[in-house]
Formats: sequence, structure tokens, C-alpha cells
Amino acid sequence: MDLSVIVPFYNEEACIEDMYNAVVAALEPTGYSYELLFVDDGSKDATFNKAKQIALKDPRLRVIKFRRNYGQTPAMAAGIDHAQGRVLVTMDGDLQNDPADIPLFLEKMDEGYDIVVGWRHKRQDKLITRKIPSKIANWIIGKVTGVPIKDNGCSLKAYRADIIKKIPLYSEMHRFIPAMASLSGVRIAEIKVNHNARTTGVSKYGLSRIYKVLLDLLTIKTIVSFASRPLIWFGSMALAMGMISVVAFIYAMLLSASENSVAMMGVSVLFAFLMTFLVLSGVLCELIYKTGNQKVEALSEMTSKEICFTTLNKN
Amino acid sequence: MSAKIELSVIVPVSESRYDGTTELYLEYKQALETAGLNYELIYVLDGPYPEVELALTKLIEGGEEKLRIIKLAKYFGEATALKAGFKYSSGELIMTLPAYQQIKSAELPRLIALCSSKVDMVIVRRWPRLDSMFNRLQSRVFNQILVGLTGADFKDLGCSVRVLKRRVIDEIHLYGDQHRFLPALAYRHGFKIVEEDVEQSQKDAFQRVYSVGVYVRRLLDLLSVFFLIKFTKKPLRFFGLVGVSIATLGGLILFYIIGERLFAGIPLGNRPALMLSSLFVVLGAQVVSIGLIGEIIIFTHAKKIKEYTVEEIIN
Repeated sequence: MDLSVIVPFYNEEACIEDMYNAVVAALEPTGYSYELLFVDDGSKDATFNKAKQIALKDPRLRVIKFRRNYGQTPAMAAGIDHAQGRVLVTMDGDLQNDPADIPLFLEKMDEGYDIVVGWRHKRQDKLITRKIPSKIANWIIGKVTGVPIKDNGCSLKAYRADIIKKIPLYSEMHRFIPAMASLSGVRIAEIKVNHNARTTGVSKYGLSRIYKVLLDLLTIKTIVSFASRPLIWFGSMALAMGMISVVAFIYAMLLSASENSVAMMGVSVLFAFLMTFLVLSGVLCELIYKTGNQKVEALSEMTSKEICFTTLNKN
Repeated sequence: MSAKIELSVIVPVSESRYDGTTELYLEYKQALETAGLNYELIYVLDGPYPEVELALTKLIEGGEEKLRIIKLAKYFGEATALKAGFKYSSGELIMTLPAYQQIKSAELPRLIALCSSKVDMVIVRRWPRLDSMFNRLQSRVFNQILVGLTGADFKDLGCSVRVLKRRVIDEIHLYGDQHRFLPALAYRHGFKIVEEDVEQSQKDAFQRVYSVGVYVRRLLDLLSVFFLIKFTKKPLRFFGLVGVSIATLGGLILFYIIGERLFAGIPLGNRPALMLSSLFVVLGAQVVSIGLIGEIIIFTHAKKIKEYTVEEIIN
């Protein structure tokens, strides 16, 4: 199987049939062998029944139904776990991505890229609540992770299956897959894709995600840069705390004898304690990493095997 | 006992709470016979209960062939006792009953019938309540906290009469004292749960006052269930929010008093506020780093934990 298209759905009964038709129409002329994975993320409407109807007619469509609503990343993770294709394409279920773009992704993969991400260069969303926060977020994500991608939020992405299947995907990490994948030194390309305004249904996002994205970013930074040597990460933080401690100590010494310097001295001791705590945390993390079964090195081993993509080319 | 067992009834005896064993057994037996399913009844003794064991052995010697006893070597907690019962039982349908009178046992067949194909679990709300205002108040408070923390809206989790399908316990990992939260955990896994009003037994209606330790333990259990439900795969979301809020508070005070030192000339080194705000910053940093340790544990150790539960796959 060449290609698996993974589409999560949540309460999209109005879109699902159009989505199916559009994907089939886009892929049929390419001549690849493909499958579709529709993941029903615990929809409360008729999404699952409609998908089932289509699946009964078309064996290339698999439908995975969740017990309840888990969110987009678990839905994509389920699709990735069950996919059999050599290239996996993920996209939104609300028709905002255009399935007609998929062949472009495959062409790019043929050029030797491992991951191709979409960029909604003419994004059809509200400016204040969606576009501006997303611009800022993408800039920060690029700076922090060192993988400058203009549009991390775009769901339309294509991956080499053997890479994406090894990358741990959890909570709301789908945004950070390219960053996570950069651990393994993959080649990432970005191409412009169409973006349609929502025609039916309502958007399921809000602004409340900001703090979550920021904390996720801290997580990803820790993992990407320091998971394999956490002592360095914690050690450098400890060093900063140690400096504060020393500065406070000197300040306390400089205070004249008439002034009471107990509080300043206390601060010095506090930060010295924090420094100790951080160093010990780093040591603990080393232990955890050593005993764990997920190694950063294991992620990077997979790209050392060059896989020929030309087989994906038709004929 | 050659026919296949359809219903496994499990009665854990734990925390020294049991009523006249022989009577209760006969009562349960009578009720279960009318349900018309081929059943087995398993008593799980959580530690040494010579009195119960003697009564049960006598019953078995007296020809009660559907009765079985499992004896745990020492006290492990009711959830563990239940798990042992689940493990050694074979029915597709499982019923858990308390080793003491809680509801009118004549109601049991009705509850079993409720657990039909569409329902995964039937739980019981003792209603109308016969116990004292104090008891009712303490269960109300307990349930209210649980609803607030987990979003599972059940009225009476103190009632251990439950009917469930085997697939529920196959998916949920129970330990310690978490049996009480089984409905909440099942709800979070997306199982369908029905809560049914059942008349309370006269014997259940005495006043219960527990020691302070019991209440503290219950609150800690609640906290751990809450954490596991919401943040298993994203510890930093929890620790990060707590830590960053504390550190921000401390940082703001610190900023303010340093500003006062610089621009208003108010001495800094002897202010208690300096100590307090530094403490906040240090505490916040520690909480955040614990969250980071959590993330590294998840990244390196939790590869196999799936964040979703699949109900059905088509094709």
C-alpha cells in the first residue's frame, strides 16, 4: 500500500460524504494504491453512521470509532497506529483543507523529503482570534524548537510512515510533530496549500489554548533538546539560581551593620536550596532516561537507512 | 456446573465490614436465582476473616456449589480484592455486591436486566435514603467534589452494588482504594453508564462516622484519580499551571519591592516581603521542574499507553 489518508472527524455529519468524494477524486487519477482512515472522535451526531454507510460500499475506507471524544491528536495517533501505507497523509475533517493538494505532497516526498507540511498561505479564518495568535505562536515555536515552519497548525501534512510511527504522539502534540521529528534529523519541506473557509459546522477551537500551547512548547523543548542529557538542562537552570544566590549573599554582606540583613541572607539560602533541588532533579532524570524504553537515539537511527522513494512514483 | 457461566457475582470482604454472612448469602442467592442466569458467586476475603471463612466453608460443605472463596494473604485494599475476583471469574457479566446490607436484594434481578446490550455498566443510587442527615450530607459533599473534579455526574458512589460488562474492567486499571471511583473512571473511558434508584436496606441506615484518617485518605484518592484522569500524559499541564501561577505571584511582588528600592529608596534587605516573594518563586520553579520530570517519565516510559479507546473498527 502506497498511501494512507487519515482524517479525524468530530461532529461533521454534513462534511463527511463530501470529504470522502473529494479525497477519492483527488487520488484516483494518481494511480497510487491507497486507503482512507476516518477516525470518529466520539461524535454525537450521525457522523459514524454516515461513514459506516460509505465503508460498507468501499473496502478502502476504514472507520475507527472512539468511545468518547478525545481530541485531534489521539484521533490522528489512532489513524497512524492503524495505517498500512508507506506514506501517511493527515488532514482536517471539515473540508478546510483541499484534498486536491495531496498529489503535490507526494511529489515533494518523491524529491526525498521525509515530512511535508502544508502552509495555508491564504488562510480563511478570523483575523483577531485565529490568524494573529497563530502567527505569533508559529514564530515562537520556530524560535524555540529550531524548526522554522510557517504554519504548524495546518493539519494537512504528509509523513513517511516508518518515521511517524516511531514518534510518540500524545496530548496535543500534533502541532509539534515536525519539531519532534527533527530529533531524528529528518528533511522537512513546506508547500503552499489551499484553505477554504468553513462552509458548514462550527469551529471547535478557542483562545483558551494559549497556555496549553506554551506549556507543550516547554515540554517539547525539554524533550527535543535535553531528553537524552537532562542533567545539562537542569544544571544550567541550577547555575542561574546559584548566581542569584551569590548575588543575594554579596548584597547581604554589603549592607551596613545597622541594617538587618536577615531577609536578604534568607533569600540567598533559598536560591541555594533551589539550585540543589534542580541538580538533583537532573540526576533523577538521567536515571529515568536510562531506564526508559524510548531513546532519542532510536529516533535518529531510522533516517540513517536510506529508503528509496521512487517506487512510489507511478510506473 | 458444566454450563457456561453468564454472571459472576463478586463479594469483597474488606475493612472489617460485613453482616451475618450466611443470611446475606442466602438472600443474595434467592435474588440471583430469580434472575435466571447461570451464575457463580465469589467471596474475596481481603486478609484473614476467620468468621466469614468459617460460615462460607460451612455453606459449601452444605452443598452450595455455586459459591467460591478467594482468600488474599493479607490486606491489600478493596480494589485489589475486586481485581482478584475479576481475574478468577469467567462470566461476561459481572456484578459486585457489598458484604453487608446496602440495598433490598430483591432488586438485584432488575439491575441485571438493565445491563443490556447498549449499556456497559449499571450503578445504584440508594433512594429514598433512610440514613441520618449527617450521612447524607457527607456523601453529598464527597459526590459534589467528585463531580467538580471529574465531570462524572453520579449521585451515589458509596454504593458498591454494580453490574458491569467484562470489557469495562479489561480496560481500566484499578488499584488501592479506587474501586469507589470505578464509575467515574469508566465514564472517562467513554463507557455507557446507567444510574438506577433502588430502595435502601433498613440495615444500611445507621449513622456512620469515620476517623479523620479515612476522610484524608478519601480526599487523597480523589486527588490521585483526578490527576490520572486529566493529566496522565501531560503532567506539565498540571504542574506547569500550579508552578507558573505561584512563581508569577512571587515574581510580581519581587518586582514591586525591587522597584521601591530603586526609585523610592525603601530598604530591601530587611523586608519580610522579600523573603516571601522569593519563597514563592522558588516553590514555583520546583513545581515546574517536577512537571518536567513527569514529562520525561512519560516520554521515556509510557510509549504503550494509548490515549484513546476504540469502540469499533469497520473494515
